[in-house]
Amino acid sequence: MIEIINVSKWFGEHKVLDNVNETINKGQVVVICGPSGSGKSTLLKSLNGLEPFQEGDIRVDGISLKDPKTNFIMLRQKMGMVFQRFELYPHLKVLENITIAPIKVLNQSKSKAGQKAMELLERVGIPEQAEKYPGNLSGGQQQRVAIARALAMEPDIMLFDEPTSALDPEMIKEVLDVMVDLAKSGMTMAVVTHEMGFAKEVADEIIFMDEGRIVERGTDKSFFENPESERAKEFLRKILI
Amino acid sequence: MNFEWQVISNNFFFLMGGLVTTLELALIAIAGGLVLGTLVGMGRLSKLKSIYYPSTLFVNLMRTQPLILVIFWFYFLMPLILGRPIGGFTSAVIAFTVFEASYFAEIIRAGIQSISKGQIDAAYSTGFTYWQAMRYFIIPQALKNMMPSLITQAVVVFQDTSLAYVIGLREFLRSANVVDAREMRSVELYLFVGLVYFIVCFSMSRVCKKLELKKENA
Ligand SMILES: Nc1ncnc2c1ncn2[C@@H]1O[C@H](COP(=O)(O)OP(=O)(O)O)[C@@H](O)[C@H]1O
Ligand SMILES: [Mg+2]
Repeated sequence: MIEIINVSKWFGEHKVLDNVNETINKGQVVVICGPSGSGKSTLLKSLNGLEPFQEGDIRVDGISLKDPKTNFIMLRQKMGMVFQRFELYPHLKVLENITIAPIKVLNQSKSKAGQKAMELLERVGIPEQAEKYPGNLSGGQQQRVAIARALAMEPDIMLFDEPTSALDPEMIKEVLDVMVDLAKSGMTMAVVTHEMGFAKEVADEIIFMDEGRIVERGTDKSFFENPESERAKEFLRKILI
Repeated sequence: MNFEWQVISNNFFFLMGGLVTTLELALIAIAGGLVLGTLVGMGRLSKLKSIYYPSTLFVNLMRTQPLILVIFWFYFLMPLILGRPIGGFTSAVIAFTVFEASYFAEIIRAGIQSISKGQIDAAYSTGFTYWQAMRYFIIPQALKNMMPSLITQAVVVFQDTSLAYVIGLREFLRSANVVDAREMRSVELYLFVGLVYFIVCFSMSRVCKKLELKKENA
């Protein structure tokens, strides 16, 4: 469970998160949308401590990120993250991309980590790519490897930052299918995306951000059918055509 | 003008002894300069002021001094600091390591900056520490990008070591110098020295070209 309590963040003078409050319960899927620059990535990165914030607090399973004793290394092992640009390690083979964290961080044996990695590659549908380098895969395949890499740490929570927005349209579905499966398996997920089909299918809550604030929140139905704020209406008009 | 090339063969082992000293000095300075330069290069990118400022000061200080002065500094300073004399070779090794580290540091800083910040975010997000992320992901990728610049700098270090003759270190150039004082065959000796420098440096720059081509094709 993630509790975001009155979080504000500035980059210099620029306030990029403005008193954000949100709770993501265990097993829930929360979709975050909003225009570019509204603070979605920053919010997501503050959940696992990649971005520090000045005010408020975030608690992950009760552990406060503001507590100086909090061990971010341990915390991040339980929170997988998937990035817009995949961020696979280009100098490592697909299989090594997936096994390196379990081997070096969790001290798993090579064979155990390798076996697990192959299972995960089966799960995301590309076991035949294990021995290739990421540069030789399509975008959709790379993003599925990135998901497998995050899952290899057996996280309790998965964070997705626009996982399909760098993909060619024909590859979006293969990635979304994996994410839908994951959501249905009970994973706790925070997903920044504009894929409203995905949101309708699996989101427990949708939040809409603008200028660092959450300006609209609701279940998929209330959000799509009668958003209250002008900004959300305008945004939906743009992305739903 | 008549050449007497026997001066080379007659003193071959003496001259090669000097070349060995030059190579030793260059190799230790390159290895030491790389290690120290990597740390300083990382320090130049640190968010911690207590690491950033000393690293930056070090780089700027070294890069504004003539190498020959740095060699003198260490030759005269180290005995004062340590309270006992140290040999010319040791002081030269320290001077070259420290001096070249400042040049390697800037190459390595640029190399690290050439790797996207997303890579370190990805590493952090699976629980790697800063040092692990550097070791497994950032430095290996950065090294690949900066290999040509590193080799170019290594060639410069190799040439620079000839300056150690100013503190009387009997490296390659100095050995030729010594033979010349005895046999008065400057032309042959310095042609030979030049030829050896050419061969070593030229083959290093060939390797560099190869790597650059490979990078372009990759
Ligand atoms: N490292 C940074 N330094 C300064 N400003 C930043 C940095 N990262 C993001 N910002 C700014 O913070 C705001 C929110 O960015 P971001 O969270 O990336 O938005 P989104 O993901 O919604 O597009 C933007 O105005 C952006 O320019
Ligand atoms: Mg973003």
